Amino acid sequence: MAIAPYPGRVTVFTIWPDDVQWRRVSPKLFFIELLSYLTGLAVVAGICWAVWLIFEFGPALFVAAAVAVLTLLRLAFLPRSLRSWGYAERADDLLVRHGLLYRRLSIVPYGRMQFVDVTAGPIERLFGLATVQLHTAAAATDAKIPGLPPQEAARLRDRLAALGEARAEGL
Amino acid sequence: MSEPGGPREPGGPTAAEVEPRRRLHPLTPLLRGGRLAVLAVVAISWQGYQNLGTQRWLLAVGAVAVLVLAGSVVSWLVTGYHVVGRELRIYEGLIWRRTRAIPLERLQSVELVRGVLARLFGLAELRLEVVGASKTEAPLAYLPVDEATALRERLLALARSRRTPAPDVAESGVAGTGVARTGAAGSVVAEPPERVIHTIANRDLVISQLLRPQWWAVPLAIGAPIYFFASEAELNFIAVASMLTAVIGAVQAPVRAILGDWRFTIGLASDGLRVRRGLLETRSQTVPPGRIQSVGVQWPLLWRGHGWVRAQMHVAGVSGGDGNEQRAGLLPVGTVPTAERVIAEALPGFALTSVVVHPVPRRARWLVPLRRRVLGHQLTDTAFVTRDGLLTRRLVIVPYGRIQSVRVRQGPLQRQLRVASVWADTAGGGLEAVALHRDVAEAKALAADLADRSRAARSRAAHPNPSAHPTIASI
Repeated sequence: MAIAPYPGRVTVFTIWPDDVQWRRVSPKLFFIELLSYLTGLAVVAGICWAVWLIFEFGPALFVAAAVAVLTLLRLAFLPRSLRSWGYAERADDLLVRHGLLYRRLSIVPYGRMQFVDVTAGPIERLFGLATVQLHTAAAATDAKIPGLPPQEAARLRDRLAALGEARAEGL
Repeated sequence: MSEPGGPREPGGPTAAEVEPRRRLHPLTPLLRGGRLAVLAVVAISWQGYQNLGTQRWLLAVGAVAVLVLAGSVVSWLVTGYHVVGRELRIYEGLIWRRTRAIPLERLQSVELVRGVLARLFGLAELRLEVVGASKTEAPLAYLPVDEATALRERLLALARSRRTPAPDVAESGVAGTGVARTGAAGSVVAEPPERVIHTIANRDLVISQLLRPQWWAVPLAIGAPIYFFASEAELNFIAVASMLTAVIGAVQAPVRAILGDWRFTIGLASDGLRVRRGLLETRSQTVPPGRIQSVGVQWPLLWRGHGWVRAQMHVAGVSGGDGNEQRAGLLPVGTVPTAERVIAEALPGFALTSVVVHPVPRRARWLVPLRRRVLGHQLTDTAFVTRDGLLTRRLVIVPYGRIQSVRVRQGPLQRQLRVASVWADTAGGGLEAVALHRDVAEAKALAADLADRSRAARSRAAHPNPSAHPTIASI
């Protein structure tokens, strides 16, 4: 699944490895993100409402409204934002890209891998998805791939582990 | 000496190879417990003194001291260490028992620390750094100095044996020969000869630390109370006390740097870089070759008159904590040629003065109007170099072989200006090596280049070829 280049301005993604076949994450990730955003919004709104009821502190409602507007804005861009996720397994390294406002691209050599995490939260499990995260010795390494079907997550994990072992270089 | 408690590990080396577990020095409980006892006494002292009266206060203090001391003695009794094969094992704890096995090939740095009290008693603390936790993983406190030195040489020798070309042979052979050659930890392994690279004159150290901006707080702090006193004729005790505290807080960094970096000597032995320093508390750190993740060079504004720079090294696992910049010092102060010489030893093949950074595009001035002329990066033969900092010029040097991952990031404004930033990540929270605001095409090429060069450096390290890389083989 190749992702069509973004039209318009020159971005990191449009020029970055042109020959790379980017793989996308599952579209079901949208519902997960939607649910977690709505949950967050409900929690904030609930707290604000409680503050308003108990302390009769009016501005709490404005805070809730502001958070609601921001969340709705974020949700409006969510589909595009999720389409920006992509990963590619190259011969020697894993590429991960994401972000709409801030475009991020990570290049992680397999040999530098310390361990792989496969995690699935309650909402993710509901939709049958998992997150794979690659860790290196550098804390700054940002190689997380959310929204993978379990079999794809397991395949990726095993492949990364095998490649990491074959090319292990430690620090 | 009877063995401290603790389970024997099944599946370990045979009984003949296992050397007896050794204890720390008998004075350890006194030294370690003493510190705790003082803290406890301070905690109960003033309030307690007024409530209890002299006699009962003395009794309470005595009881606390005895309790702390007893605890320390028990902890000393159950603490032990020994070397098994190529691992250092440390046993501790009475109720929560812990055995820590440290594979020596993972050793990042060894430091011999001697506090004032420890020096009085001829003792030393040995700190081993391994990647993983936020603090020193294996502090062995306290050992007699000669034993600590011998143990350090032995651990470093074992750690070095990893670097022999045939790892499979080393796996089975070195453990045996290592034990046979050295015997118990107390027996001596000859300390490898050391070549001194540079010694810092204490005069330069003091001058350089006096040129730090922290001292500007002093006249302010002294002047303010005098002004208040003159104008109001009412000296507020709390104001003066807080002012004094502020002054002490401000100047403690330079003062600690002077105390900590006194007689700073850096040398090179076959087992790595050796840094010795300290006036009251002396430290001697050994960093095996190839353990330096990144090097930072700073050129503070106030030092430019003397042409001085400061260099730091970052070793994975060596955390900041107490005065992080002192702890990782490579050169606390020195001229540019000195820094070049020292860094060339730390990162073989790197020449500081050959650095000529590529400037960022002119359109980046909208993002960094003042720093645009300062920002830049360079790909040298061996390392990735970035420059930043308007007043204090900062150079970050990351050897290609130490790059863990490469990141490219582009914010909304950067997208408008067709620029992007490229990060090279290193292990253990070292300096941030980032080439800010490069042209997108250049950023792409840079990221690809960094990934390629890092891969090439790593495969070279995995399959060393002495003739092609004499600098790596020689240390």
